[in-house]
Parts: sequence; C-alpha cells; structure tokens
Amino acid sequence: MSTAAEHPAEHSAGHPAAQPADRTAGRNTGEAVMSLLLAAVGVYLIVEAGAIAVPGSANTIGPRFFPYLVGGLTVLTGVALGIRTLRGDRGPADDSEDVDLDAPTDWRAVAVIAVAFLAQALLINVVGWPLAVALMFAAVAWALGAVGIVRPFLIGLLAGCIVWIVFVKALNVALPGGVVLEYLTSWF
Amino acid sequence: MGALGDLANGFADALTPINLLWALLGVLLGTAVGVLPGIGPAMTVALLLPVTYVLEPTSAFIMFAGIYYGGMYGGSTTSILLNTPGESSSIMTALEGNKMAKAGRGSAALATAAIGSFVAGTIATLLLALVAPTVVDLAIGITAADYFALAVLAFVAVATVLGSSPLRGLASLCIGLYLGLVGTDVLTGQERFTLGVPQLSDGVDVVVVAVALFAVGECLYVASRLRRGSVQVLDASAGWLTRQDLRRSWKPWLRGTALGFPLGALPAGGAEIPTFLSYAAERKLTKHPEEFGKGAIEGVAGPEAANNASAAGVLVPLLTLGLPTSATAAIILAAFQGYGIQPGPTLLTTEGPLVWTLIASLLIGNFMLLVLNLPLVGVWVKLLRIPRPYLYAGILMFASLGSFAVNADPLDLVILLVIGLLGFLMRRYGWPVAPAVIGLILGPIAETNLRRALAISDGDLSVLVDTWFSRIVLALAFLALFGPIVLRLVKGPRSTPEQLQADGHLEHRDRDDAVPTGADREDRS
Repeated sequence: MSTAAEHPAEHSAGHPAAQPADRTAGRNTGEAVMSLLLAAVGVYLIVEAGAIAVPGSANTIGPRFFPYLVGGLTVLTGVALGIRTLRGDRGPADDSEDVDLDAPTDWRAVAVIAVAFLAQALLINVVGWPLAVALMFAAVAWALGAVGIVRPFLIGLLAGCIVWIVFVKALNVALPGGVVLEYLTSWF
Repeated sequence: MGALGDLANGFADALTPINLLWALLGVLLGTAVGVLPGIGPAMTVALLLPVTYVLEPTSAFIMFAGIYYGGMYGGSTTSILLNTPGESSSIMTALEGNKMAKAGRGSAALATAAIGSFVAGTIATLLLALVAPTVVDLAIGITAADYFALAVLAFVAVATVLGSSPLRGLASLCIGLYLGLVGTDVLTGQERFTLGVPQLSDGVDVVVVAVALFAVGECLYVASRLRRGSVQVLDASAGWLTRQDLRRSWKPWLRGTALGFPLGALPAGGAEIPTFLSYAAERKLTKHPEEFGKGAIEGVAGPEAANNASAAGVLVPLLTLGLPTSATAAIILAAFQGYGIQPGPTLLTTEGPLVWTLIASLLIGNFMLLVLNLPLVGVWVKLLRIPRPYLYAGILMFASLGSFAVNADPLDLVILLVIGLLGFLMRRYGWPVAPAVIGLILGPIAETNLRRALAISDGDLSVLVDTWFSRIVLALAFLALFGPIVLRLVKGPRSTPEQLQADGHLEHRDRDDAVPTGADREDRS
C-alpha cells in the first residue's frame, strides 16, 4: 500500500516509487487544488439551489432537491479527494498512443493551442469558418512541432475549404464561409 | 417469430441500396477515424455524430451502427500496430498483438482480431436481438423508483468499477451531474445554474461536452506530453493466419464473446473488465504458456472478441432501459435524444422498426468490416503515419466543426474550450472522463424518475425501497461503491495489464511497482 501518510505533498519531496521525479513533481498540489475547486463547486450548488424559485403549491419535492443531493455528494467527494491527494495519493496519468508519460509538461504548447482555439471561436463569424480554422490549424501544428508555418497554414486552409464545401454545399450545414469563399461558390 | 421476424423486417429496411451506402460510409469513416492514434471509440462516435445530424433518423442510425463497430475495429488496429499503450478497451489486445507484430506476425494478429471481432460481434448482436424483447417485457412493469435505483447503480458502477481510483471516478461523475443540472428544469420550468447566460437555459449540449472532454481534452493533454521523434508503425505485410493459428483462435473467440456480452450488458458495463478477464483466462487455459508475453495469438483473439461482444452487450441496457453504461453508449443516447426519441422500456414498441433496423445494420456493418478491413490494412497503416502536429490540428478542426454545427453559436466553442481544459486536467491527474459524460446525460433522467417516485408517495422517501427490485439494485450499488474500497484496503490496487502479462494472476497489488510499459519490464514480483 502506498497511501503513505509519511510522504508529505511538497513537490520537491520526490516520490518513493520507481518513476522519475519530474513525472510526479507538482502533481499532488495541482490535484489538491482541483479537488478543492470541486468541493467549491459543490458549495456553489448548495447555496445556489436555495435560490431556485419553487413555483406553485408545495407539492412534494421541487427543483431544489436534486441539486442539494448533487451538491452534497460533490462537497464530500472534493474534500475526501483533496485530503487523499494532500496525503500523497496520486492517480495514474492517462495513457495514450502519442503521450510520453516521462516527458516534462509542455505548458507553452497547451497555452498556444488554447489561445488559438479561442481566437478561432471569436473569428468564425468575422472571417468565416475555413479561414478561422486554418489559422488555428497552423498555430496548433506549430505548437506541436511542425516545420514551418506557411505549409501548415496552407494545409489547414485547403482542408478547411474542402470540409466547408462538403458540409455546406452537399450536406446543408449552416457554417459561415467568409466573403471570398461564399462568393466563389455562389453559383453552386 | 417474435424477435427474429422483427429482425428480418429490420434487414429489409437496411438492405436497400441507399441504406447500404450509408452503412458502408459509416463503416469506412468509423474505421478511418478510429484508427487514428489518440482517438478511441467514444471520441470517434462523438466526432462523427454531427455528420449524421443532416440525415433522417433511419439513415442516421444505419450510418451510426457502422461508425460504432468501425471505431471499435479501428482502435484495435492502432493498438496492434503502434508500440504504445492506447485506450483502455484495447490495451489487452495490444499486449500480445504488439509482440506478434514485432515478431513479423502482424498480419496474423490483425486477422485474428478482425475475424474474432466479426464472430463476437455477430453472436453478441444476435444475442442482443434475442434478449432485448425479454428485457423489455420485464422492464415494462418497472416503477420510477426502480428506475432511479438502476440509475444509481449505473452511476456507482461507472465511477468506481472502471478506472483505478473510485474517488476520482466519483469526482468525475460529480462534474457530469453538475453540468447536467445546468439549464431549465423539465418539471417546473425554472432556470437552474445558468449564470444568467440565455444560451445555457437549454442546458449544456452532450455532444459539446463529449467532444470537449474527449477530443479537445485529449489534444491538449497530448500536446503537453507529446512523444517526440518519428512514428514507429509495426509491419503488417507478412505472416498470414495459418491453419494452426485458426485452431488456436476459435476457442478464445467464443470464450471472449461469452465473457464480453454479459459483462457488457450489466449496468457496470464497459469493455475494460471483460477484456482483462479474457486475457487472464486465455493465459491460464493456453497450451502454449511459454508464448505469452512473446506474442501468443490467444491473447489477441480472446480480448478482442470480448471487446466487441461487450460493445454489443452495452446496447442491451441502452435500448431496453435507456441506461447508458459506457461513454460511447451515452453519446448514442444523445443521438437518440437529438431526434426526439427517448430510449426506455417503450422504445421497442414506439420505435420498433428503427431499433430493428439499427440492430440489422450492426450485423451488416460487422460483415462489411470483415470483408473490407483485411484488404484495406495498407490504407490504415498510412493513416497511422500521419505527422502528429497535423493529426491533432485536424482533430481540433473537426471538434470545432461538430460543435459549431449543432447551434451555429460561437459560445458553444468557448464552452468547448473551457470543458476541454477541464478534460486536460482530468487526464493529467488520472480522473476518468467517462463518468462525467454518463453523469451529464443520465443525471437529468435520474432526477426526473426520483421526483416522479416521490410525487406519487407524497415525499415519503421509503418509496425508493418499496419493491424488491429497487432493494436489490440499491444493495448492488452499495456493494459496488464500498466493495472496491474495502478490497483496496485489504489487498492494494488492482494489478495492471503489464503485471497480468508477466505473471498471469489477476489480483490486487501495489500499483506503484508497475512499470509504464510491458516491453522492458523486469520482474519485480
């Protein structure tokens, strides 16, 4: 058993297990924060549930009951998990084909992708889906280590235009295409 | 007559040229997307669901059946040909499949997986057709309280039995239940937890959440720890299935089916446990124990059959009770709801033709997969070599497409990103994502039934344990919640797949001693 109360949660403490230190560093603190945030969501659920209007006659249980139940469960789970992580318990990080569990976390890539995705969401109605998504494609590919920036952009633009034509012209999905593409395909 | 007659009618509906075309398209798309590394069956179904929105229900579900089985098949191809761990349901297939491919027998591994999938899928889908009407007959008398008990069992089972940490499963479930509460209360029309955002009054879209947790979360997570260097795809051109391989494969196929279907059909569904058990059983029963760990064909045939049989088994509670027990099933349920159909005991009577066409299409798709996939292996191998930056950029492109197409609202994409970041953190800290998806879709159903039950009893809580059915189901849920915790306290965490490969014992033991990959493991026991 490795619940290990004798191993405190500081990142630098190093874990007794066979894994390299950088794989565990910072994880306990991060997860403890996440657990407490979960507990906070539970508190929010309980508090806000009290503010839900209960209409009409007081017939048995209304719209507040289930939120109270979920909120209570959430608080309990968050607190229990928070305590366990602070005492040194940690979950196995998810395995995936392209994931190297021993690699240090590349926060820059995560940040670039998140910002690129957000920018794309805000640009869709301005420049159209194909161009917005091509910009995101280029930024994501660059963040993940693709060579160059022009080639990924052109690939993204080509893919975006093809997907747009298939979905809008053949399948009638509503998707803004941007002025140029919509003009070019208006005869379709 | 009965089920078989209905199934024949289903075939009549599914076997028109245009519907066969949809099935073929579904199978090809499902396999192509499922083959892509990093994409499991649940993500395949979530990403391709919007494609089916433009079709009318029958065609959509025919295509969907193909996507479902195609995604399963594609996942096992990936795990055999890439020497890296993949999603949990095909991890057992990968153990021996990898070793076979490395020894130059990749083709035989793929063939036994393909034929095993076909055999298991066909038997299990026929069993589904035979069992479903019986379950519906039993379920028709079910009360709201019984249904609530079933939902509780599904919650507990999904959260605690799957994955390695019950508490983390519960945490994920809570996130799903919370998201499920957002929106307008069905029974009273009151807005709950919408933060004053008008778009949220319709609730959080299940497709958006599933795509966010699976696709966006996975992309961010992979980005944070990308495996650098060139992609290694194992060779699958040589080493065809010999007669001896077939002789060694057929029993594991059948045993895998026998394990996969019932365990998949239980509310504690999912493919993880049956594939685990199948591998352990084959290891114990084999006449070639020395080959295990070096590429034993039984170790591919059994788990792969169990994997596909459980995929059909999961459809039993879904189609007869409206109870999703895996992430993929939750997304299929969302697809039904997207067409205004609520799966439940009445589904077979109200939407009978649709359900039977779906089941017939599963059988057709399964057959197509067998015929298509062995010749197409070369194409799938090419897909495995896609440069990773383009692959994940492409996944995000389709995530954007699917979520935007639902409501054409950029806010959905912002929600997609926020929940995607949450999915990233969940993966990072080992919180399973499947319970969140199931909590989201099953939470509102559970609440409705709970309130219906309590409305009948005038708020008396004892109505929840009024019938024997609900008592037994709640007792099982209690056992599923505390059983693993007790086991863990007594014996330590469950053995990992790698430990199982090394010593063949399925037991509870300390997880920290495990080495991440089975390949270079030195014996620690």
